[in-house]
Amino acid sequence: MPFLKLDGIVKRYGSVPVIHGVSLEAEEGEFVVFVGPSGCGKSTLLRMIAGLEEVTDGDVSIDGRLVTGVAPADREVSMVFQSYALYPHMSVFDNIAFGLRMAKMPANEIKARVDEAARILQIGSLLERKPKQLSGGQRQRVAIGRAIVRKPKLFLFDEPLSNLDAELRTQMRVEIAKLHRDLGVTMVYVTHDQIEAMTLADRIVVLRAGVIEQVGSPSELYDEPANRFVAGFIGSPKMNFIEAKAVGSDASSITLAHPAFVGGQLTVDRPPKRAVLPGAAVTIGLRPDSLSLGAAKPLLNLTCDFSESLGGHTQVYATAPQAPQIAFVVGGRPEIAQGAPLAVGVGSGRVYLFDSEGAAL
Amino acid sequence: MSSTWRIGSILHAVGLVVVLAFALFPFYWMVTSSLKEQTDLLASPPVWMFKPSFGNYQAIFADRTVMTAVLNSLIVATSTTALSVALGTPAAYALARYEFRGKADLWFWFISNRMISPIVLALPIYLVSRQVGLLNTHLVLILIYLTFNLPIVVWICTDQFRSIPRDLEESARLEGASQFDVFWRIYLPLGVPGVAVSAIFAFIFSWNELLYALVLITSQDLKTAPVVATNFMSGYELPWGKIMATGTVIVLPVTIFAMLVSRHMVRGLTMGATK
Repeated sequence: MPFLKLDGIVKRYGSVPVIHGVSLEAEEGEFVVFVGPSGCGKSTLLRMIAGLEEVTDGDVSIDGRLVTGVAPADREVSMVFQSYALYPHMSVFDNIAFGLRMAKMPANEIKARVDEAARILQIGSLLERKPKQLSGGQRQRVAIGRAIVRKPKLFLFDEPLSNLDAELRTQMRVEIAKLHRDLGVTMVYVTHDQIEAMTLADRIVVLRAGVIEQVGSPSELYDEPANRFVAGFIGSPKMNFIEAKAVGSDASSITLAHPAFVGGQLTVDRPPKRAVLPGAAVTIGLRPDSLSLGAAKPLLNLTCDFSESLGGHTQVYATAPQAPQIAFVVGGRPEIAQGAPLAVGVGSGRVYLFDSEGAAL
Repeated sequence: MSSTWRIGSILHAVGLVVVLAFALFPFYWMVTSSLKEQTDLLASPPVWMFKPSFGNYQAIFADRTVMTAVLNSLIVATSTTALSVALGTPAAYALARYEFRGKADLWFWFISNRMISPIVLALPIYLVSRQVGLLNTHLVLILIYLTFNLPIVVWICTDQFRSIPRDLEESARLEGASQFDVFWRIYLPLGVPGVAVSAIFAFIFSWNELLYALVLITSQDLKTAPVVATNFMSGYELPWGKIMATGTVIVLPVTIFAMLVSRHMVRGLTMGATK
């Protein structure tokens, strides 16, 4: 039986639908990440799991128990908010102990639990401080501490790292991953950052406009995106897309025409999933890290626009005839002049193909 | 520094000094007059340099009337302030956080209560109070002042509560807090600046109120301080010294109170200005 089950969840604000029949299952101990652009409904979905938003239609079940309509406090879930939501007038100890006091736990047990959480999160020396005396990372730890003391069945994270700087975000990401490993509790994590999704998740749920686009492990989403949206959303730098036309296909390959390619054509040695008529519009997807400069058999005729050196590697942005800007990654710091012709091939990975509807071919 | 700018600054400063003098002079005159003997008080032209005397204060403290009046004012002002806060803060919380039919109308009703001129209601309130047997009681003043102070508390506290992030309430609800717990443990502590300011306003309005105290209380033992101050205004020879001393005693507690919490008052005055 799935630990968390969303069954046909619909959410409407008045007559405006924002979640369109989302169904999802998560196993116990799984780390599930909801990812998608702003306004896709991921936070709304999370808040419906928590009970902070009413479900218009559909059901939510946690650990085999139907919780649709059950008060948030009775669902045995804890949530870490984007803004941390620490009570500014209470000390760190009181913030962490708040939920335990609401549950009328004995004082000595409250102290024991708070001290344990503080030890795990290394915030023992901060217990007497007020939130305004803490740094962003310390506040985040206190918010997590407040969530873990209640020993919930389900942890919910609503973009907890958005307010942190890049370095701290990386550090806290590792902390959260370790916490999941040590506690083994089911976690649902919302983020718009696909890097957080790729690094933390056991499974990623990609959402767009209130609909699930694809559910799968990070490698599944990276290697086998179901559609153009998922392909473009997952992976950094973003996938390059070239709008081509099908020339022909057979049982083992498909040939596509576009002036950006050497000889005006590209042949992919992999049959499409569905029949493609000659002349049909086909989108070619090329991951920047799968393109290589100076390939023996170049595929693309590119001209360098500009490059960004990132120390260990360089990101190059190039132009191609009748194509949007193509980005690719080169190891080291090669000197590439603006306007220089670039012979680029597909070094590793594969060429992705999508039909006119955006579905993967 | 251009001469035009300098002249402008000087004129600005002079203007401020004039306005300040205009505002402060009555207080200065009252306090200095309370320290003058009768001959200095009635001197024409007025005496600016004099030997201060506490005789007027001795006279009013010897007379039970003034101190009883101050005690009555204290009872009424404190009670109405406490009641206004006790009733107004939950109402403000509901208006800040709940959505319900008629909310905008209820809000407008609260605020419009403050727009009515008190003198318009003086006679009907007198008649009703007499009918229900509440004339010459502290309770009638407390209830009347409540109707004027409650809108102030609701107005300021609603805005204060609206500024508290919703995340805090949601977090508390997730942790098992009831609606009352959220109000008592989260909103009220965080809303202390607004609550304090509205309590200050309520206390000052109640302490200084004269019209209803004059109309509804005729018993000498129940008169409030502003009414007693006007009691001296009869006869051919007005005891200006005692009048000024009484006025100073009445004004002093509220003035000191306001000076101590003036920082909170300025914050509170701007609370209703922005969303």
